[in-house]
Amino acid sequence: MLRIAALLSLLFLLFLTGLGPIIWGDDALAIDTAALAQGASAAHPMGTDGLGRDVLARIMVASRLTVGLALLTTAIAVAGGLVLGGLPAVLGPRAGRLINGFVGLVVAFPGLLIALVLAVVFGSGGTAAALAIGVASIPSFARLTQTLAASVAGRDFIAAARVLGVGRVRMLYRHILPNIAEPLVVQATLGAGGALLAFAALSFLGLGVQSPGYDWGVLLNEGLNRVYINPAAALGPGLAVVLAGLAFNVMGEYAAQAFGGRSRVIRTRGRSSRPAPGPALRVRDLTVRYGDAVPVKGVSFEVVPGERVGIVGESGSGKSLTALAVSGLVEPPGQVSGDIEAAETAMVFQDPMTSLNPALRIATQLAEVATTHEGMSRRAARSLAVTRLTDVHIAQAARVVRQYPHELSGGMRQRAMIAMGLMGTPRLIIADEPTTALDVTVQKQILDLLREVSTTTGAAIVLVSHDLAVVGQLCSRVLVMYAGVIVEDLPVSRLTAEPDAGDGPAHPYTRALLAAVPDLTADRSRPLATIPGRMPSPLDVTGGCPFAPRCPRADSRCHAETPAFDGAVACWHPHTTEHVLKEESR
Amino acid sequence: MTALEFHGVSVRLGRGRRAVTVVDDVTLTVPSGGVTGLVGESGCGKTTLARAAVGLVPLSGGAIHPRSRVQLVFQDPYSSLDPRMTVGAAIAEALPRRTRSDEVSRLLDLVGLDPALAVRLPRHLSGGQRQRVALARALTARPEVVIADEITSALDVSVQGLVLNLVREIQRELGLTMLFISHNLAVVRYVSDHVAVMRAGRIVESGPVEQVLSEPADAYTRTLLAAVPTLRSAPGA
Repeated sequence: MLRIAALLSLLFLLFLTGLGPIIWGDDALAIDTAALAQGASAAHPMGTDGLGRDVLARIMVASRLTVGLALLTTAIAVAGGLVLGGLPAVLGPRAGRLINGFVGLVVAFPGLLIALVLAVVFGSGGTAAALAIGVASIPSFARLTQTLAASVAGRDFIAAARVLGVGRVRMLYRHILPNIAEPLVVQATLGAGGALLAFAALSFLGLGVQSPGYDWGVLLNEGLNRVYINPAAALGPGLAVVLAGLAFNVMGEYAAQAFGGRSRVIRTRGRSSRPAPGPALRVRDLTVRYGDAVPVKGVSFEVVPGERVGIVGESGSGKSLTALAVSGLVEPPGQVSGDIEAAETAMVFQDPMTSLNPALRIATQLAEVATTHEGMSRRAARSLAVTRLTDVHIAQAARVVRQYPHELSGGMRQRAMIAMGLMGTPRLIIADEPTTALDVTVQKQILDLLREVSTTTGAAIVLVSHDLAVVGQLCSRVLVMYAGVIVEDLPVSRLTAEPDAGDGPAHPYTRALLAAVPDLTADRSRPLATIPGRMPSPLDVTGGCPFAPRCPRADSRCHAETPAFDGAVACWHPHTTEHVLKEESR
Repeated sequence: MTALEFHGVSVRLGRGRRAVTVVDDVTLTVPSGGVTGLVGESGCGKTTLARAAVGLVPLSGGAIHPRSRVQLVFQDPYSSLDPRMTVGAAIAEALPRRTRSDEVSRLLDLVGLDPALAVRLPRHLSGGQRQRVALARALTARPEVVIADEITSALDVSVQGLVLNLVREIQRELGLTMLFISHNLAVVRYVSDHVAVMRAGRIVESGPVEQVLSEPADAYTRTLLAAVPTLRSAPGA
């Protein structure tokens, strides 16, 4: 829709500026002494001016000058803005601060006011006015460039280039500008609309284009003098300004959408909350699609109350999406299908800084859960918040509830997040990499806390992690995911057993994953075990076992037929006790 | 080759009364051609120390030697490569113009990547491949000292092994002096000969890696060791 509108706008502007003067050029100059200052008629749809010239033709002809001057103005603003905004990055911190200060000072004045002053200084005429408006728009554009550049300048690849000895000028045009080009283009397109308007305003005031030249502003001025005699002569140029301004804005909007990747919202629901009793979570044939990509391909499992289940796998295995789907948090355009029956759920995320609202006090956020879901009074909810914070071993909870998230350490925030989950009465806690952002000592405390919560409240826990050791620490059962499917479901005791003793994991992938984790007893003289190759992407349609290309045990059957998950393992040649015994007896 | 030496290095960040001492009088020597691991929790100052060594952060006291031919490999391979630059261009950036294409191929080959990847953009590469590109890029400057700052913490375990093996191989092959920073004690133990433990801006303990990890002298080192999750002694089992 927006794309069509933008295309139409562009064609409209091109038509006016390209063909307007050619088609209507003669009519606009033809002086008809028989029809001076007439109203609208069949011959002159918008009437004539004081010299009997056709107003409509003059509007059409004026479009080239008007739009052209607006574009010139924008070009001046963009060029000046880029230089002024980019200079701090080139000149270094001290000169940079000076320039930033100056830009900040100038931005504080209204643009049109500066344009008026400059127009007086530069004198009258179209080009002078373009210069005035262009220069007046430089500061805001410079400010934008500088802010965007600063946000890019903090990123690692800039630091990496600096360490390599890349010069400042090269840094600006090679690294910084390409990475901020998109918002600048959008802003420039929107700015062109603004420039058009500002220009019409200056011309209208008599500071812009001078007679005998004319643009829409001049025509508007002329038309306004006779607005009661011939309203069309004033409305026509006004309408032209509005349409052209809109055309620029629509194009800017489209550019923003095209660059920003904004998309429309499609929601599908595949989740139902179910009251107790029964399993804490039952998932049947869960599939998550993003267009052609299918990152989760028919996952089924069950979690009984009080059970602690870990879901492990590499990035791209679909483990986090499974957890999100279970919580009903898959963002569009993702589509969820399958049956999910979950008891009341609490969610703990990886980064508690981004999942807590930074603008609200801890008490407000925690109390909100109880007031909205349990209909509790605000006072009762607040005191419950203090109790729950104490439950998760936050000392001086009464003081902490009055603080904001940024005042807490990472571990404290994760505790607060868990406390927030406990404000209701969850029967299922889904924790997605809850300790990945934390230090080892804090990680241990959080894992201990989750175990304690599960034991005291009877809530089941689903822990999603890439770290087998973390899962082994908290869980009693592990689901191993690979390329969107569960390949093995095993008790932690099998994960921790010595694989050589014939009691380790059955799936070769689980074994390979285990072997790749260095621990404090690994042999330092030997290279670490690795898994060659890479996981198939969610776009690939794989025939056969998805792990087959990387599997040391794979044969032709593995490449041809997909092994079904039998409740314990999905593999044609699993490591089994008998198998190991057979190998040993050989 | 040269040793990397920190002599009484201090770094203060911020201005005036709000300034915080992030690195406090650190004296540490990474022996020439050796690997020293640096462990500690987030916020203890290990990354700041690394950034000071390559001149990204000014020192407020002490001295670091050498001041040139030191390169840094960053933690996050998703942000340390310019998303708009091909792999080849990123590596070639610090190379003299004449030898560029040969050298890019040689370096990609050295880090175990197909030289044909040079025309790709970083977003088409996996995390492990990106981290190898970042390593190749650091090697373009022919450094004598390489600082690896948590280079595997953004990677999957299966890929972590590849990168660690590669780092060890290259370090030995080129005889690099290396400061290997990580919060993961098992990873540090695997890569390093010596280890230093940092807490709140100070080095609390240092020595040969086996000795420090098996007989830690400092209470904080013992706390760190006790917190490492291991599969073999899982309490959940």
